[in-house]
Amino acid sequence: MSIFIQSLINGLNQGAIYALIALGYTMVYGILRMINFAHGDFIMVGAYTLFYTVPMMVNHGMPAWLAVFVAIVVCVIVGVLVERIAYKPVRNSGSISALITALAMSLFLENLAMVLFGGNPKTISKIFDLPMIELLGAKIQVKYLLTLGIGLVIMVALTLFVRMTKIGKAMRAVPQDREAATIVGINVDRIITVTFAIGSALAAVAALMYCSTYPRATTDMGTMMGIKAFIAAVLGGIGIIPGAMLGGILIGLIEIFVKVYLAPGWYEAITYAILIVVLLIKPSGILGKNVSEKV
Amino acid sequence: MKMKKWLSTALALSLAATAVAPMTALAEEEEDYIIKVGVICAMTGGSAVYGEGAQNAINMAVEEINASDSEYTIEILNNGNVADDAKDATEAVNAYNSLMAEEPEAIVGSFFSTPTLAMAELAADDGMLLLATGATNVNVTLTGDTIFRNCFIDPFQGEMAAQFASEQGYTSAYVIYAKDDDYSNGLKDAFVESAEALGIEIAGVAECTTTDTDFTAQATNAVASGADFVFYPCFLDTVPLLVQQVRDAGFEGAIMGGDGWDGADTTGYEDYFDNCYFTNHYSSEDTSESVQNFVTKYTEAYGTDSLNACAALYYDAMYMLLQAAEDGGDSDTESLVAGMTEMEFSGVAGDIYLDENGDAIKPVVVNTYEDGQIKWLMTIEPAE
Amino acid sequence: MPKKIKRNYLINLIGLILLFLVFYAVFESGIFGSRTNYFMGIATTACYTIIMVTSLNLLVGILGEFSLGHAGFMSVGAYASAIFTNALVDSGMPRLLLFILALLIGGIAAAITGVLVGIPTLKLRGDYLAIVTVAFAEIIRVAFTNFEITGGGRTMSGITKLSNFYWVYWVMVVCVAFMYMFIRSRFGRTVKAIREDYIAAAASGVNVTFYKVLVFTISAFFAGVAGAVYAHYITAMIPTTFNFNYSAEFLTEVIIGGTGSMTGSVIGAAFLSILPEMMRSFATYRYLGYAIVLVLIMIFRPKGVFGGWEFSLTGVFSGLRKRGSKSGKGDE
Repeated sequence: MSIFIQSLINGLNQGAIYALIALGYTMVYGILRMINFAHGDFIMVGAYTLFYTVPMMVNHGMPAWLAVFVAIVVCVIVGVLVERIAYKPVRNSGSISALITALAMSLFLENLAMVLFGGNPKTISKIFDLPMIELLGAKIQVKYLLTLGIGLVIMVALTLFVRMTKIGKAMRAVPQDREAATIVGINVDRIITVTFAIGSALAAVAALMYCSTYPRATTDMGTMMGIKAFIAAVLGGIGIIPGAMLGGILIGLIEIFVKVYLAPGWYEAITYAILIVVLLIKPSGILGKNVSEKV
Repeated sequence: MKMKKWLSTALALSLAATAVAPMTALAEEEEDYIIKVGVICAMTGGSAVYGEGAQNAINMAVEEINASDSEYTIEILNNGNVADDAKDATEAVNAYNSLMAEEPEAIVGSFFSTPTLAMAELAADDGMLLLATGATNVNVTLTGDTIFRNCFIDPFQGEMAAQFASEQGYTSAYVIYAKDDDYSNGLKDAFVESAEALGIEIAGVAECTTTDTDFTAQATNAVASGADFVFYPCFLDTVPLLVQQVRDAGFEGAIMGGDGWDGADTTGYEDYFDNCYFTNHYSSEDTSESVQNFVTKYTEAYGTDSLNACAALYYDAMYMLLQAAEDGGDSDTESLVAGMTEMEFSGVAGDIYLDENGDAIKPVVVNTYEDGQIKWLMTIEPAE
Repeated sequence: MPKKIKRNYLINLIGLILLFLVFYAVFESGIFGSRTNYFMGIATTACYTIIMVTSLNLLVGILGEFSLGHAGFMSVGAYASAIFTNALVDSGMPRLLLFILALLIGGIAAAITGVLVGIPTLKLRGDYLAIVTVAFAEIIRVAFTNFEITGGGRTMSGITKLSNFYWVYWVMVVCVAFMYMFIRSRFGRTVKAIREDYIAAAASGVNVTFYKVLVFTISAFFAGVAGAVYAHYITAMIPTTFNFNYSAEFLTEVIIGGTGSMTGSVIGAAFLSILPEMMRSFATYRYLGYAIVLVLIMIFRPKGVFGGWEFSLTGVFSGLRKRGSKSGKGDE
């Protein structure tokens, strides 16, 4: 029983981290219909920023987590630069060109990081000094709850932002009909930049929560995590904000439970198999809306 | 089928472009007392930390050797750079071929088994001396007579870890290993076999992958299994994560690994590393001259960032080639192979004897941690 | 018309033989000196990469769906053929026969996987299909890591070295020619009709399901052949090689060359196989340079270097005859 509860907690924590990353994918995909494979690498940028800024914060007597604001600034700058320099020129050349550019940017960021920071994995100092509580024989880290909480808050905030604000409404208009959006006076370029800024800021927050659980930055950390989180976003229904949250948590739970109870050597295969089954039953993901195609 | 001509022009042009430089450097040499060495390691990708260490170590070793009064000097081909294999077999084959174009007398590398096995096949055909540095797969040296290594083979470290666990009185071991890696598989197999032979109960064997960051599931199971010893034969990048997660899950026994642990960063998690051990080629605490010289000089020049087992092995490889030339009486490949065969060598990574396969037989050092600093614990001499 | 086509094929065959002779002369004369093996190695790598990329281009350019899991099919071919040759290497079979059988085994194994992947994923399109191909490739990778027969997560080494450049060149020629003829055939035109408007195609009586699975299978078959070439060239492999990044590399080469252009695929694959080698002297900056080149190509030639254009040897001749009129014909 305690193993079950422990796994539940661990799964929720891992899932919440996936969800935070998946939210970033979903934001960009929802507006641009583009798989931003460099999103995982934005998190890498955030993690390296934290590696350098957390000790600085601590040395100045400030709480370590304040470093996230520096990370947000750095990630937003990187994200917007990547969008402006690399993505914008290919925006009208179809989704595959955009995808390849994203893959190339991902490769670029990883190798740039290697040149700048070296190949040695960096251990990030403790960010939260929170206690552990015992519940029914399971050990619950308070920071796990924090991760889950932050994920939910961001999910609600993003949903409200997209539904209620003027920019949010414009964001929803852009993917439906980019030309019509321009005609009614929406500055599409600006909306896309704002989208990337938000997505990158989310990456910085995800980096904070990721590093508080897995305190390590490597240059290639973005790839694997990025794919998993992207799978989570697709599972929940890509482009749908609560879908990313749901998908992330599901993938986290599935992974942990498969590792504990079934076959640890097969956990990735089982996760992917579940994704395939879900997509076959409901091609647009769990929370996705099935849109019938126009003839 | 209407397109091949373009290919020809494109291919020929690009090939010709890279071919501009080759002929100049190939003047036939008499006995020139220069050992021409090609070095291969992972310089890009997730394992680039090893390439960094290798590059620094060979720079240091070559500088020392060339400044010493030995009549031989070492020249690193590829303009003194380590050729990149990105831990990939195809890249390794290309790197090997590119170095072969500069007519080396020996090739050093690589650090991982997959790329090395691909190169070993070629080296065996070419009769080229290949001195593998970290490729622990048993088959590496069995591929040919000109292939040697200065690291342990997989079974040995696993055996030693089991022996250590048994001597320290641990009774129940839980193994977590990366399923998708030669080194991890090899150490796991040997450990499980030896541990069972020594009467240690194997409480469980859990798999992970080399790219995993989450070990909470395995940690939960390890604690639940009641084991007092966790064996984790993986590489330095995941070690701090594993140790932290296993400790957070409430595990208080010993955690042990192999030489892949050397160089793992303990900053911020010093107390987690109490009661952790790893087998290695050397201990930075060792007072012997060669070790102290290596550790001090390396730290001064490059810091401790990439100071790990890999750097030590590449450093030693240079000195082994020097000794092989001195013993073999010449710097050509044949003499180097003759000098290398059944060589006895003493370097940073211990006193080595190369057996008839070309495998290094040498003592193993068990290190532990104190406040996150590596401490020497004991040295186990090889049997017989 | 058939006469003209026959003549065209003949001209191209002669062109290919001449090209082969050029390679043969260059490598055998040893004008590259000690670099011969290096260049031959790169040329071999380029050949199997070309097969991979053209086979992927069948999916991307002709069917209009993109796959990010092509390395999965490659690994099926690589492992199946390697297991086959390991079992038969001592049977005294002629090397060439063994090699051809290994290629077929690799291709067939991958084709079967292609059917298995193709059928369930038919409902999916676009990004969703792409992500499912990633999932399938990852499942294959994990399975090969766990199966004892494929090494159980360890390097499978000591595979007989059968792939030499001269053989691999002709394997590449046959594969690319077959795929090219497929595209030009009635089947190929039907598939293009599906790409343009699959609802309309279905409405006019085309069995969309059949054609999609067919393309998937053919594409997988050739990926398997490429995998077999790979296995018998590198001789040591581990499932982690065939990961997402490797698949992504192939898709990149298709797009850089030009979607739907076989010429583009061939040259894109050859160019991107050579590029990292040309950048060896940059050491750690190597892949940084590679990434920059990719981004620049995408920015300045977002449709790929060749777009949908096909090179044609006969086109060149007629162009020379006409002087100044167009020298190559667009494919679509």
